[in-house]
Amino acid sequence: MATTAKIEVQNGNLLQSVQAFLHMLMDDGGVAGLLTPLHMGPGVVMPALVTEPERLKQADPLAPAFPLNAARIAAKLTRGGSPGGTLAAVLRPCEMRAFTELVKLNQGNLEDLAIVSLDCLGAYTNADYRTFAAGREPREASNQWAGQLLAGRSPDPADLPLAKACRACEHPVATGADITLGLIGMRGAGHLLVKAHTPRGEALLAKLRLPDTADPTARKDALAELVAGRTAFRDEMFEKTRAATASMPQLADYLAACVGCYNCRAACPVCYCRECVFLTDVFDHKPWQYLGWAKGKSALRMPTDTVLFHLTRLAHMSLSCVGCGQCSNACPNDVPVMELFRTVAARTQEAFAYEPGRSPDEPIPLSVFQAKEFAEITGGRD
Amino acid sequence: MKTTYAALVVGAGVAGIRAALDLAETGQKVALVDRKPHLGGLLTQLDYQFPTNACGMCKMLPLTERDSSSQFCMRKGLFHKNIDMFLSTELTGLDGDPGQFTAFLRQGSSFVDPTKCIGCGACSAVCPVRVPSEFNAGLTERAAVHLPVPHNIPNSYVVDLDHCIRCWRCHETCPTEAIDFQFNRRATFHTLLASAEPGLAESAAEWIKDLLFPFAAETAPEAALEQIAQDEHLAMLLLDLDLPGLEPERFLARALELKPELVVVLLAGPQHAELAGKLKAAGARLVLDKPLKPKAAVPVLDKTFLRAASEKRLELSVAAVVLATGFDTYTPCPESFGADTLGYKVLPGVVTSVEFERMLSGSGPGRDRLTRPGDGKPVRRVAWLQCVGSRDLGKGVGYCSSICCMISIKEALLARQMLKDENGEPAAATIFSMDMRTFGRDYQRYRDSAEEEAGVRFVKSRIHTAMPSPDDPGALRLRYMDESGELKEEDTDLLVLAVGARPPKDLPALARAAQVELNEHGFLRTRHFDPSRTTRLGVFAAGSAGAPRDIAESLIAAGAAAMEASRLINIYAPLKEKVAEPEPEYRDVGREAPKVLVALCTSCPVLESAVDMEALIARLQSQPAVIAVARIDAGCTAPGWEKIAELAREKRPNRILLGACMPYAYVPKLRELGAALGLNPAFMDVADVYTPAMTAAREENPDRTALGREVFATLNMALARLVRADTLRQRSAAPVYRQALVVGGGLAGMTAAVGIADHGYPVTIVESEEALGGAAMRLRTTLEGRDPQRYMADLVEQVEKHPNITVRTDSRVVLSMGKAGAFSTVVYGRDGVATLEHGTTILATGGREAKVYDYGFRVHPATLTQVELEQRLASGELDAGALGSVAMIQCWRSREEGRNYCSRICCAGALKNLHTLLRKNPGIKVFVFYRDIMSYGFMEQFYTEARRLGAIFIRYDLENRPQVAFDNGKPRITARDPVLGEDIQISPDILVLSTGVEPNDVEELAEQFGVPLTEDGFYREAEPKWRPVDFLKYGVFMAGLARAPGNMGEHVASAKAAAERALRILSGERLDAGNVVAEVRHSLCSLCGRCIDVCPYGARRMDLDEDRIEVDAILCQGCGSCTAVCPNSAAVLKGFDDAQVMGSIDAALEELA
Repeated sequence: MATTAKIEVQNGNLLQSVQAFLHMLMDDGGVAGLLTPLHMGPGVVMPALVTEPERLKQADPLAPAFPLNAARIAAKLTRGGSPGGTLAAVLRPCEMRAFTELVKLNQGNLEDLAIVSLDCLGAYTNADYRTFAAGREPREASNQWAGQLLAGRSPDPADLPLAKACRACEHPVATGADITLGLIGMRGAGHLLVKAHTPRGEALLAKLRLPDTADPTARKDALAELVAGRTAFRDEMFEKTRAATASMPQLADYLAACVGCYNCRAACPVCYCRECVFLTDVFDHKPWQYLGWAKGKSALRMPTDTVLFHLTRLAHMSLSCVGCGQCSNACPNDVPVMELFRTVAARTQEAFAYEPGRSPDEPIPLSVFQAKEFAEITGGRD
Repeated sequence: MKTTYAALVVGAGVAGIRAALDLAETGQKVALVDRKPHLGGLLTQLDYQFPTNACGMCKMLPLTERDSSSQFCMRKGLFHKNIDMFLSTELTGLDGDPGQFTAFLRQGSSFVDPTKCIGCGACSAVCPVRVPSEFNAGLTERAAVHLPVPHNIPNSYVVDLDHCIRCWRCHETCPTEAIDFQFNRRATFHTLLASAEPGLAESAAEWIKDLLFPFAAETAPEAALEQIAQDEHLAMLLLDLDLPGLEPERFLARALELKPELVVVLLAGPQHAELAGKLKAAGARLVLDKPLKPKAAVPVLDKTFLRAASEKRLELSVAAVVLATGFDTYTPCPESFGADTLGYKVLPGVVTSVEFERMLSGSGPGRDRLTRPGDGKPVRRVAWLQCVGSRDLGKGVGYCSSICCMISIKEALLARQMLKDENGEPAAATIFSMDMRTFGRDYQRYRDSAEEEAGVRFVKSRIHTAMPSPDDPGALRLRYMDESGELKEEDTDLLVLAVGARPPKDLPALARAAQVELNEHGFLRTRHFDPSRTTRLGVFAAGSAGAPRDIAESLIAAGAAAMEASRLINIYAPLKEKVAEPEPEYRDVGREAPKVLVALCTSCPVLESAVDMEALIARLQSQPAVIAVARIDAGCTAPGWEKIAELAREKRPNRILLGACMPYAYVPKLRELGAALGLNPAFMDVADVYTPAMTAAREENPDRTALGREVFATLNMALARLVRADTLRQRSAAPVYRQALVVGGGLAGMTAAVGIADHGYPVTIVESEEALGGAAMRLRTTLEGRDPQRYMADLVEQVEKHPNITVRTDSRVVLSMGKAGAFSTVVYGRDGVATLEHGTTILATGGREAKVYDYGFRVHPATLTQVELEQRLASGELDAGALGSVAMIQCWRSREEGRNYCSRICCAGALKNLHTLLRKNPGIKVFVFYRDIMSYGFMEQFYTEARRLGAIFIRYDLENRPQVAFDNGKPRITARDPVLGEDIQISPDILVLSTGVEPNDVEELAEQFGVPLTEDGFYREAEPKWRPVDFLKYGVFMAGLARAPGNMGEHVASAKAAAERALRILSGERLDAGNVVAEVRHSLCSLCGRCIDVCPYGARRMDLDEDRIEVDAILCQGCGSCTAVCPNSAAVLKGFDDAQVMGSIDAALEELA
């Protein structure tokens, strides 16, 4: 049974309450380093490892900014040795799930990092966030934005849509975090909901001595409504993407704008190779090969191997794709990478009844041998 | 000319292959012969084996030095550099002494030159003969010229002369002139008739004229002999036994002395039947009945000529002989309809188990045959009847075939899996049996899961009648009596007769040739405690040669026979000091710009007639790396290879691509060519261009453009792989500590130790008790009346006196590290602590009689275990004469969860004690409560005898088990009698419990050696069927009771088999890895460890000190799972890198024009 506590919200200032909670974690919880989004300058929010609680004034986990998926940073903080002090990180649900995948791939370690996650209201693309924040006090803007969104009103400015990945995301609450902060469906309560989900979370929360509370039913309904809306958006997106990529020529058209910059791979939180196979000698083609290919096709699109690149990444990573949308965010040419990945991932993950990030104990399917599976392909024979 | 081999293995079924491979892997040259024109024996026909319900024969392939044998499907063929195969070959004599035998072989001809046959099938298509196909168990028909096993590689047609009608159409049709009927030899096949019968000479001359044999006749014996001596071309003698003045035996001996190859045909009337038989044994070839009928005699004489003119005689010098003769399956006699053959061959729905396997097989007549043979409706019900041709004294078979129960359960499971209706509902499966003999270690669970999970129904009864169902004419009505004697009827769509194993028909002849004895059942007579020994020293029995066995036990028996052979070979032709064959020196060409020589084989016209060769050659020549494209007239023959070598010497290519057929068959040839040219065979390849060409040739209007493209693509893909082939680094090799450790000093441990030590390698036995011997020391007698005490005493003495064996009693293993070839083990004991360095380990930790604490086992002296009864009867402590009645309860607390396995020895133990009791006091009443009597194999006769002696057997099941109470110390047993259908009560003087055996507790030891246990605590083998004494961890082997329950002979066999496996490691100074092994590109590796998870051979591990992934090249089998799971090609497989694979894909897409 999870421990449930509350943090009062003064004058509707959500961010202040969140900051206060983070402050407590460092002061009372004994956290020596806290990874949290921090305002770094006009229109820029970046994860930072905070060691001085005073700096938490700039912390803003509510900001609708998502410049990168911090799972890789969490992995770096925990891999290959002890950090030398208690670490905590504030991660979005998709960051948490990507981190869990990285832990399964031996790239990070859950032992050394306490994870705090807020209900995720979504974020803008990098470009849109700059528009959103332009000329405003950024924390004030975040606060207002979140308040309006939670009240069911369109946030100002209303003409800026959230990133597509966020609108299609059916995971507003993190699974596997030590502590979650509940925002959704808490409007009437006048406080945030703090929940511990693990023994470590319980221990941490006990140190903070927060007053107990109950899980309000309104929250459940609000979450269900939110997820239903996002799922509908997602399914529509799947349908459109499937139609647009139904054949090889269509897929080639879909990916036509790709310049092979590999930004999507760099931004992908679960692409964990030290060096991508597309940068190795495997793709060092001989000059005569190019001419040979060109002759076969009458004109050879350059750079080559861009479709293969995306197919390969789909083969390698679609099972672990958490749908954070950073690939699309990073694409300089607006290739709808996220849509393609999520659409394919939905099928591959379904095939193995696998959900990335659901649990660190759930092995990645391709590493597991099942004597009996895919009966529809094997005809029921072993 | 004599050829020398270390061993001759007769019979190329799985046991023969196992024995040959075992010896070949230790470096011995082996001749493997089979009378059939194919290898694989019965298993060529069976796709699925229990308990895995899959094939898996390939698991027998060598794990180290993999390159010495082609690694592919073993049901298709076997190539090993140390094994020479002689098919259609029989052993006709064996002279000499152990270690120095001369084996005489006769190799029959298939009349088709395998080097010319391209497998096009034109011969078969024109052959007018149709006979039942042996391969499909008679379910389909074949021509006289046919492929004996359609999936064999290489595969060439053979002429079945027995059914050939000599129309010669196949000969005329063959496009490559591969079929040779020796037409040229007829003119020199001089035939002589020795007969005084008036007119016979004239008419014989007339008949033989058609055969074109020069013919002469003599009317007196002496004149005939003179003619034999003078005519150098005389090849056939027709000898009339009515010839006046003929002393038949002397005459024949003289004639064969003059001409050993002379074909002697006896012309014998009925009164000479006995004499003719004698003369045949003395070397006459054939008997023709008098009076001669030309219609019958002429074809026979012609075929005799064909055989004589085509066959080869071989003489091999061998140190040891292994007989792996297997068994035939019983054919229910169709004539005896109404007996228990139940209408086989009369009623359409009655089939044998072999036929049923063919029906289920992917290579069979088609699964659509699984309709009711009567009316073509789907099969929804299948019934099996056990013991057809086994356990049937009426048919002269007093033994149990041991394998049919498990085969039927497997078939029932397959039927449930495969025969489903449109709603996915499986067909009903029912097995009718007297006992279900699931006596293998984990077989009881297999049976239980068939019953409980898969829904197979088991009925204890024997069907006595099968007839067409009155309600449904396409179905069969079965009638049987249930246990209570009530007559039952039910309908089925198929009735499968579980046919038993019979000694092979030609075994008596083979036994005569090898001078070994047969037992009363017609199998080879073998020693009781040593089932691999026959009655002749130096001739060993493998597989089912001595008794019917399942695959796992056949392979154990094969391993044991190989070990015995190896021991003998080691004395006469020791390998130990053998200098390793020098590795050929190869040029380093990996960094040179690729220069490819392409040779296209044009030995048969198929390719040239199907594709535009000029265009193909021109296109290949235009490829950047190709320096020359040549046509080779006969790529598959020696001159063809010489031509390739010549071209290579001239053009100096650094890659060679051959376009031919059957790439697998070329592996040894490439090795030879590589050695001759100094070019690593890894830089050569054979692309199969004939399969597409031949497929097209069978079509009516082949698309020549598409075919040309396919042939080009095939060659181009191979070219792309070759061009990108990289320098192969030195193969890794690990040094070997040539010593063995045996844990456990009982029967199995000591037997294994002696086997290894006899080869000259030091062995240490670690025994936890104070003395050697183990559980077998408690036995006093055997069912067959042998003396186990003496056998054990001899064995202990042999071990203690052996100069190569060190015994550490009162000791145990405390730590073990290392891998195959290099283990380091710490032993602690009476003599202190010692560290042993050894290359291999055998775990033979044994077991014990299971303890029982209920039924007053300790409290009431009237309750005993079988072993206690045996000991008390032997010591005289218990007087059989004073006993009035004895009750025995079998399967006490076993074959049910907790200890759900058959202990295998308790039924034998009960029968043994029961015979002792009844021999001493025939008046004793003996009651045996049993579930299934497991008197498998020849033990069955003791069960039959026990019933004859009056012992009463009462079956019980788990729902109604016998209840025991005690009245003043006297046991009172209440049990349900299934025949009477009511409870009975008996109060015997003593109650004997068959408690079974259990393994010793070895959890700690198993952990030290990194080996797994079954849920019952026995050692778990790498594969239950094909690797029965191996652990998955290479270099550690298992033997004896710790592996599985069994009798002494069976433990001796597993110990010898384990010793043979261990010898494979000790026989070389180093262990060599294969050429194709995985490597890690550490600079790319992210250490995610998925490659470790997916490696099926445990060859990869994380080195925590170095912080990197390491591959054990010896364990790596080159399967490529790691490269598939690694996202960035940090895991790579030598010889299969990404560039080669992608290059091949590109090459496949290139256009021909």
